[in-house]
Amino acid sequence: MPETPRPRQPIKPGFFTVPDDPAQPPKLLGTRCEDCGEFFYPRRALCGKCMSRRTVEVELDARGTLYSYTFVHLPLFGSTNMEHADGYGVGQIDLPEGPRVQAPLAGKQPEFQVGQTVQGELDVLRDDGGTDIMIIRFRPLGEARP
Amino acid sequence: MREVAILGVGMHPFGAYYSGKTNAEMSLVAGLAALDDAGLTFADVNAAYMGHIFAQVMSGTRILKEFGLTGIPVQRIENASATGSAALREAYLSVSAGHYDVAMVLGFDKMTSMIQSGTAGTAPENLEDAILPAAFFAMWATRRMHERGTKPEHLARIAAKNFNNGALNPMAQRQAKERITAEKVLSSGMVAWPLTKMMSCPIGDGAACAIVGTVEMAKKLRPGRPVVKIAASTLQSERYERGHIFQGPVVGPARMSIDSSNAVYEQAGVGPRDLDLLQVHDAFAIEELEYYELVGLCRPGEAEKHIEEGAFEIGGSLCAVSTDGGLIARGHPGGPTGLAQIWETTLQLRGEADRRQVRRKSGDLPRLGMCHMMGGGSVCVIHILQRV
Ligand SMILES: [Zn+2]
Repeated sequence: MPETPRPRQPIKPGFFTVPDDPAQPPKLLGTRCEDCGEFFYPRRALCGKCMSRRTVEVELDARGTLYSYTFVHLPLFGSTNMEHADGYGVGQIDLPEGPRVQAPLAGKQPEFQVGQTVQGELDVLRDDGGTDIMIIRFRPLGEARP
Repeated sequence: MREVAILGVGMHPFGAYYSGKTNAEMSLVAGLAALDDAGLTFADVNAAYMGHIFAQVMSGTRILKEFGLTGIPVQRIENASATGSAALREAYLSVSAGHYDVAMVLGFDKMTSMIQSGTAGTAPENLEDAILPAAFFAMWATRRMHERGTKPEHLARIAAKNFNNGALNPMAQRQAKERITAEKVLSSGMVAWPLTKMMSCPIGDGAACAIVGTVEMAKKLRPGRPVVKIAASTLQSERYERGHIFQGPVVGPARMSIDSSNAVYEQAGVGPRDLDLLQVHDAFAIEELEYYELVGLCRPGEAEKHIEEGAFEIGGSLCAVSTDGGLIARGHPGGPTGLAQIWETTLQLRGEADRRQVRRKSGDLPRLGMCHMMGGGSVCVIHILQRV
């Protein structure tokens, strides 16, 4: 008999999706301006460029180019996931639509390289009374480019 | 518009006290020192601007009662790291406009008590709060290394310079016993690659005060002493541009420092090459490196070469930067930090900076100093002080 999947919840609603199918990658929850066409992450009520009120909510693929990164030599705050205990990566990711996203990275420092493609994935931060609290982390796709 | 002068400055040394003095005790030390320096008593003060980040609401108003109950207006100003600088600007605006003749600007904070009360301010539901501030600045460094070939050694040289300047400043939190080398900075333990502990500012407590009035008053109160006037003041928030990061508002767009410094240069009628000294928001060494270029001390991409030549040291060829040790060595308790920059620049322009005194190539005292502060990556406050 297959194991019942544990319930999963995003650390904060409104920033990314947590699909029912764990095999599906998350989407980022952003905003598009209907007047000037600019995209934003995270969501906002007014356009940050032209201040239009005609904005719509959009789902963005959590995939982009690593603009910059670092590796923090401390445990990730609020995490009980042992994988985060000896430090964690943080990156700035440029989405094809324009927004620059700042988020934790999955993997170890030598795997990161400015300019490489990274893919967002869900990661357990901690267990909250039987529910997994999920964060999004970006993982390098394939080998780091030289 | 009236010309505005710094009548007096005072500080309580910055440090990590944890259980020692209260905000009120530190504020009295800084405030009375500034009044004495100005040649005034609290009865002469017409208005007060209090800068604090971590203390409870009304702390500024309550602390002011320790000086006296004279009925003057008291306002709290808060703008993260730029709190003290923003408070000074309000005093400058009010005296300049003629509303008050003497305004007191007092900044204080006990960052250590904030840390002691747990991880207040870091709400795990905000993903960006789970990321250490050092990480945001570290990413600025990584990008710079990618674009310009910057090496961790360049960052280490900046931090070493600031530690060595701080050792000459009795108000500085970190007092190095021996001369600090870049090697020592590099081996001080990694916080967020490539930033090490000694490239990062410490947590601390402290207070600083400036008394602001008219230039005429400064001449009368301290005849014969050089008058230090506020030649220009600006406070700007962010402008949108593509690639703006809306989460984790700590670093802020580089453009803000360019626009703000251009605005104060125009107001003061000077250029970056006229500056004799500069204080910047060097919470992390990469910031100081970037600000050399963003405020125009050198051209983009040339900071590294000048760092190697020691151009930003006291006595260096371009401009003495972070002469009191900067945030890295002097410390960065929050509320008083911007006023510590004003304390340092005022003393320097008067020729009272003792062993860290900056001199021009001619041997003369410095004439122009600039104080640059970033607040939460969302505001930039700059003042230019001028000896007249
Ligand atoms: Zn728009």
